Amino acid sequence: MQDWGRGPSSEDLEKKVIEIKNHLKNKFGPQKGILPILFVIFLVVIGGYSSMYEVDTEETGVVLRFGKFSTFSEPGLHFKLPFGIDQVYLAQTGRVLKEEFGFRTVTPDVRTTYTKKGLEEESLTLTGDLNVSDVEWIVQFQIADPFKFIFRIKDPVGTVRDIAEAMVRKAIGNANVTDVLTTERAQLSGEIEQNLQTTLNNYDIGIRIVTVKFQDVTPPDPVKAAFNEVNEAEQQKESLIFQAREQFNREVPRARGEAKQALQEAEGYAVERINKARGETNRFMALLTEYRKAPNVTRRRIHIETLEEVMPRLDEIYIMDEKGGGLLPLLPLRKTMEGGAKQ
Amino acid sequence: MKAPIFFVIIVAVIFIGMDGLYVVNEAEQAIVTQFGKPVSDVVEPGLHLKIPFVQKVNRFEKRILKWDGDPNQIPTKDKRFIWVDTTARWRINDPLLFYKTVATERGAQSRLDDIIDSVVRDAVSGRLLVELVRGSDYKAQDSEAERFEVEGVEVKKEELVGREEIFAGILEKARASTPEYGIELLDVQIKRINYVEQVRVRVYERMINERKKVAAEYRSEGEGEKAEILGKMGRELKEISSEAYRKVLEVRGAADAEAASIYAEAYNQDKEFYAFLRTMESYKKSIQQNGRLIISTDSDYYKYLKDAQ
Repeated sequence: MQDWGRGPSSEDLEKKVIEIKNHLKNKFGPQKGILPILFVIFLVVIGGYSSMYEVDTEETGVVLRFGKFSTFSEPGLHFKLPFGIDQVYLAQTGRVLKEEFGFRTVTPDVRTTYTKKGLEEESLTLTGDLNVSDVEWIVQFQIADPFKFIFRIKDPVGTVRDIAEAMVRKAIGNANVTDVLTTERAQLSGEIEQNLQTTLNNYDIGIRIVTVKFQDVTPPDPVKAAFNEVNEAEQQKESLIFQAREQFNREVPRARGEAKQALQEAEGYAVERINKARGETNRFMALLTEYRKAPNVTRRRIHIETLEEVMPRLDEIYIMDEKGGGLLPLLPLRKTMEGGAKQ
Repeated sequence: MKAPIFFVIIVAVIFIGMDGLYVVNEAEQAIVTQFGKPVSDVVEPGLHLKIPFVQKVNRFEKRILKWDGDPNQIPTKDKRFIWVDTTARWRINDPLLFYKTVATERGAQSRLDDIIDSVVRDAVSGRLLVELVRGSDYKAQDSEAERFEVEGVEVKKEELVGREEIFAGILEKARASTPEYGIELLDVQIKRINYVEQVRVRVYERMINERKKVAAEYRSEGEGEKAEILGKMGRELKEISSEAYRKVLEVRGAADAEAASIYAEAYNQDKEFYAFLRTMESYKKSIQQNGRLIISTDSDYYKYLKDAQ
């Protein structure tokens, strides 16, 4: 805001009067009739020029008449009394104004660039547990009352900045570093917004806070690595647990399956065993029935059948005569059949 | 030559008249002095008259003004060096007194420097750092572990005050001495509190160590949980395999027993015939390829053999 220790109105008037006086002194005399006309034209031009003003779309004009508040003016072209009698001050009431803390926008664009250089003092903040956090935030506000905004306080924006810093430090000083960095951001910014508005309301300077928002809230640079290490460790912990769970999930169901397999096999064995037993005993019972009908014949038949099966496998058969006591070699049947003698 | 003189007179009258008129705008308050002596009350915004050339208008800000202190390095009661940056709002509420005592805004600012700086310095050096940083409703994460000492003497938690109280004290003290300059102090705010550079480095070290501790804890927790899961897995595996083993044996045993009973029941019908059949069976199984057989001539076998041939 410009400094107004001295109102421009009286000075302007004085200057103009001196101009007019000089004008009259120099020109008076020779061309008698023209001078008053020139003088009138001069006044009309000056008056006309200084009695019009424009208020932009997002602005509100505050009109002072002889330094005293007269009226507000809406956007558009307006007339006022000339020669500094009416003075107009414009305030951007329609616009949401923004102040940045801890960083500055260098070039606002699609990809906005920021700088943090030299703003550490602004952004480094003590937390309640006496740690340091690097906090960036913005404050958006609107001019709710242009008259108060201009005439109640000398440096309204500077005041918003000062009080915002004080309130942010108050809120962060009341929290712990881990909360500030993670969970409590939203709650804190709400609290700051409220405190800021309350304080500004005490000054009654016609400012309405739209929002207070944290941007980057980080640990200070030298500590960042350690904070990242914690995140890493947290990830490591998760991954160790997942690894173990994975192994668990890989091995336990397989073991369950294998157990089921063994059980099925055992059941298979059981069925087989019993079926075999049944089959064999059934066969035996059938044989027994036949055997009982003709025991000797059956017995001999079975004997012979067995011999038939066994004999061809043998190389040599010896017969022991009880009386002779000698060992009679029986002809090696197979060799004979094959037509070769064995020594 | 009548007309020129007439004009000069008019101009002079206007000129003198202009000096008799003055405007005070909404941002200002003024007092009128006559040869240095105040002759009016506080003048409100608007158009006013005074005696030309004799009286002088002294204008002062009516708006709220800002005072911004130099950041100061102050030790706290627990001997920590911190930067304290203070800001204050004030306004001229008695222009006449203001004019008499400090005359200008600059004069007032320097007077405020003296007053506020010393009050803030007293308040900061008489308090612990935690008291300056925390509000009275601060909740510590681990409040049991915290201890505060000043030169070896412990300060009890109940004795600590929050920053609101300290700030209120600062404002009250500073306010006490401003009215004599026609100044009203609206508030004093501590804009920034920060460690001085050397302390900050050490605080960073502490933060790093603390973070490392947390990281180690996480890692060890991870290892622990992993071991627990693997242990549980081992137990389950053993449980599963041993239970399977038991069941397998039970099933097999039951089957064997049943088979045995089936056999026994059948074979008991004719033990002699069973023995005969088993003998025959065993011949079939036990006599290998290319073996030798020795038969006694009086055995049944021989008899049958003869018959067979």
